[in-house]
Amino acid sequence: MTSAALELVHLKKTIGKKEIIKDLSLSIEPGEVFGFIGPNGAGKTTTIRMIVGLISITEGDVLIQGKSSKTSFKEAIQEVGAIVENPEMYPFMSGWQNVKHYARMMSGVTKERMQEVVELMGLEKAIHEKVGKYSLGMRQRLGIAQALLHKPSVLILDEPTNGLDPAGIREMRDHIRHLAKEQNVAIIISSHLLSEIEQMCDRIGIIKNGELITLQQVGETENDNLLHHLQVTPMNRAKQILHEHLQLEATALDGRLSFHCQKEFVPNIISKLVENHCAIYELTTAHDSLEDQFFELIGENTIE
Amino acid sequence: MSSMLKLIHNEQLKIYTKKSTWLMYLILAGLIFTFAFSVNYYGVPNEEYQVDNWQQVLQEENQNLEQEMKKDKFKTAYHSYIIEKNNYYLEHDIQPAAYDAWNFTGETSEIIIVVGLLSIIVAGGIVANEFRWGTIKLLLIRPIERSKILFSKYVAVLLFALYTLLFLFITAWITGAIFFGISEVDATIVKDATDGFRSVPLFKDILTNYSFPLVDLLMMTTLAFMISTVFRNSSLAIGVSLFLLMGGSSFVQMFADKDWVKYILFANTNLRQYTAGNTPFAEGMTLGFSLTVLIVYYVIFIVTSWIVFKKRDVAGQ
Ligand SMILES: Nc1ncnc2c1ncn2[C@@H]1O[C@H](COP(=O)(O)OP(=O)(O)OP(=O)(O)O)[C@@H](O)[C@H]1O
Ligand SMILES: [Mg+2]
Repeated sequence: MTSAALELVHLKKTIGKKEIIKDLSLSIEPGEVFGFIGPNGAGKTTTIRMIVGLISITEGDVLIQGKSSKTSFKEAIQEVGAIVENPEMYPFMSGWQNVKHYARMMSGVTKERMQEVVELMGLEKAIHEKVGKYSLGMRQRLGIAQALLHKPSVLILDEPTNGLDPAGIREMRDHIRHLAKEQNVAIIISSHLLSEIEQMCDRIGIIKNGELITLQQVGETENDNLLHHLQVTPMNRAKQILHEHLQLEATALDGRLSFHCQKEFVPNIISKLVENHCAIYELTTAHDSLEDQFFELIGENTIE
Repeated sequence: MSSMLKLIHNEQLKIYTKKSTWLMYLILAGLIFTFAFSVNYYGVPNEEYQVDNWQQVLQEENQNLEQEMKKDKFKTAYHSYIIEKNNYYLEHDIQPAAYDAWNFTGETSEIIIVVGLLSIIVAGGIVANEFRWGTIKLLLIRPIERSKILFSKYVAVLLFALYTLLFLFITAWITGAIFFGISEVDATIVKDATDGFRSVPLFKDILTNYSFPLVDLLMMTTLAFMISTVFRNSSLAIGVSLFLLMGGSSFVQMFADKDWVKYILFANTNLRQYTAGNTPFAEGMTLGFSLTVLIVYYVIFIVTSWIVFKKRDVAGQ
């Protein structure tokens, strides 16, 4: 038995002669937030459609809490809440009528729970208006509310940030971290914008042309030699001190000193500089942006 | 509530939350009213016979008609029909019954074709619209088999047809009562058949008028449902089904001399051809034959819908 909340086992999808997903394997733990990143046409939505049973699996399997979505679809999908591509709802019904509609399709969703998810997504005021009048962001929020209704243990969000304003993205980030940490929900979020979801993910998978080309933990590791920028006066003395006492080679650039060192050295550096009467205005750590790596990895996006 | 009842409830809510559905009922009510108004305007049938000396009225009418026939030969056919009918009343000593809400209700069975039209519109949209709106995705990612979801949709369509039929019946009766008043239901009316006139209970006449068109209604609605499911296109489903509902019988008439025509659906939907006084559409056709043909078509429509819906990959339009 596996402990993974969601497991993709050698997943393949062929439509016509075209191989859209080529042997995708992946495992996501309970409480983990997984970022599924890829350029247009990479196969993110196709993978998600297979996970939720909207399209058939050509080869391989999807296991949700250990249950195969091929052989026991009902039991497997029970654990899943999802939005797939655009947040489409019935435009002629109110937000509340839409929520009730989906609540009727699952067992054990109480009225209190419905109100709870509506409040969680900040839709209390608009919920009795017709969805046809909603903005894209409001529909996105309603879509997420709908996905959370039955307290799923696996949450799948296909481009949930699409249409959300910065405040909305920030709120969503908080909800997602909360769901993962407090309720142990496994979450997959797809996006083409790494920067938007990087901060809410524990792990990132990059997909291109139907293949998972890299899997990476988010957040620095302690022993990395990170780039630091130091704003300090006098600069020359500081540079000398770094060289003599700490064996660090710094370069002066734009009125700042830049150098590489491990995180644990930082307090030491600061106290040495202060002892020697250098005035420190700012010390920043430059994270090697995943975004840069992302572009390096995927190169130019030529849609196959 | 069981999960299936909840699904059917959902589907009905979606039908009746849309304004266009209510517009349909408004149009239907308008049609019934216009019908009643024109009956009233052109003279309420049998009104002149509601007197004690009705026999005399009938006889005088016959004499007048005969006089006219002598002057104008072209009127012969229709006039002799009325004379025969009048004579039937006189011979059997039946006073022509007063026209009332029940008679009117029986005649509005002509409007059942409009109920068919509305049911086709609903059936044609019920699956296709979910694809058009994109809501099919959120509908199918539930712990419910696809076949159950399709079943709930089909039941909702049939219920819509039933409610609309009831609406027609009740509205017609109320409108009839307002325009023509209410007399006894157990009245009899005189109808012509190929073998002469006969007197039938009004109640039975209304019932037959309302039941025979149901075959067409069920078959065409199911066809629209199938096209909607297979092609995910409501206009196509509505267009094809309506065309066949209206033109199906002319099509079989056109090929009436061909051998294969009796296997065509529309040669079999009118079961009235097997009632007394009528002749079947083609030689060798029996009620059993038609029922078998109908069942075969029905099963094909249903099985095709279910197979396609269950197997379909729900990916982009
Ligand atoms: N029904 C289909 N028939 C044929 N090809 C398809 C079908 N659906 C998707 N594809 C192809 O599959 C590939 C992956 O599409 P998919 O929608 O999964 O990409 P995506 O990663 O979600 O892209 P985006 O970021 O634009 O949403 C594309 O090349 C697309 O052309
Ligand atoms: Mg996509």
